[in-house]
Amino acid sequence: MYIISAFQHSLYLEVAITNLEKKGIPKENILAVPLKKRRELKKLFDTINQSDGVSQLDTAAILGTIASIFGIIYGYSLKWGPLLWGLIGLFSGFILGFIIDIIPKRKKRLQKACPNSSDTEVVVIIQCESEQAQFIEKVLWENLALGVGRFDG
Amino acid sequence: MRTIKQRESIRQLRRPLGFLSGLNTTLFHLRNPWVVTWWSAAFPGFGHIMLGNYLKGFLLIGWEFFTNHRSNLNKSIFYSFTGEFEMAKNSLDLTWATLYIIIYVFAIWDTHRSTVDLNKYFRISYNENSLISPVKITSLELNFLDKRSPWLALAWSLLIPGLGHFYCMRILTSIFLSLWWVVCLFYSGAVIGMFFTIMGDFSRAIDVISIQWLLFMPSIYGFAVYDSYNVTVEYNKLFEREQALFLKNNYQNSNFNIFNIK
Repeated sequence: MYIISAFQHSLYLEVAITNLEKKGIPKENILAVPLKKRRELKKLFDTINQSDGVSQLDTAAILGTIASIFGIIYGYSLKWGPLLWGLIGLFSGFILGFIIDIIPKRKKRLQKACPNSSDTEVVVIIQCESEQAQFIEKVLWENLALGVGRFDG
Repeated sequence: MRTIKQRESIRQLRRPLGFLSGLNTTLFHLRNPWVVTWWSAAFPGFGHIMLGNYLKGFLLIGWEFFTNHRSNLNKSIFYSFTGEFEMAKNSLDLTWATLYIIIYVFAIWDTHRSTVDLNKYFRISYNENSLISPVKITSLELNFLDKRSPWLALAWSLLIPGLGHFYCMRILTSIFLSLWWVVCLFYSGAVIGMFFTIMGDFSRAIDVISIQWLLFMPSIYGFAVYDSYNVTVEYNKLFEREQALFLKNNYQNSNFNIFNIK
């Protein structure tokens, strides 16, 4: 019998595998295949699990810093003073930079809109006896498997 | 048996993808040289810190604070942009400003050059499938690769520059940023100035703040936010890559009897 499961890269995945080995599943009966990822154009924001290698903050941080410096300098002669204008500069520069970074990305996103691919990053297949299936599934679910399935053959 | 084999392979590595120490995870990844160059221009030394050249970075930042303060450069920048050119000329100390500019240009040039070289290094190391050891335990600190949220790093950096770097185990960056941030807060009078600003007493706010010190702050703030976010994203990628290589080396037995039940 085979148990097939999908995971994201995380420490949980290694907890699951080591737990199974402790409970007597031999290493040779565990197959783990990390998947190459689709270039993620559909994601606008980096999250804990994915990023497409392009920082969205490049322009934002640069413009934010510059605008903040000028906010402070000219804030001296404006009513609200340098501190408030410095902060206004920081946030408006940041937002402007963010928008500049996002617009071309958005276009690309629309062009290459891809089917709603799942978040699976690793496929783990375990070969076992049918009476072991239940606890294996339990271990996998407990360690945040995205999905678990059986194949009886 | 397995573990011994892997340790050997680590020892054999010529070009590791990164290095974990108790205080810091230093890693190579592709960077836009112009972005690194920009941070060097915003504040000499920040570019080096981004790359992991800590000693160079700390020396350059210290030098920047010292000479900028001595030459009144920030004050002079302020007067220049507000059109008071006579004041700008009078406030600038020529000796220190001359020394300042040479190191300033050097820092910018040096980070650009380094980034280009490190990008080449990264490509080689990536193609070699170099492994790294994902855990470092010392008597002072624990460091291990894990997934962390870039937005959380950013949020902490917004509160106090340096906290985001604490979260993502860049402790050297963290100490340095928070230290200088507090020094700037103290000498710029920004906190008291902010108090008067919020109370609507804008002229008193201007009286208590020092432009020389206040102008350091946007760069420190912007850099802390940007770098902590960026580093966290790259750490997550390093984690994934290390785990993927580990799985490939250990859980892809060629005798695995796939879907062929006796």
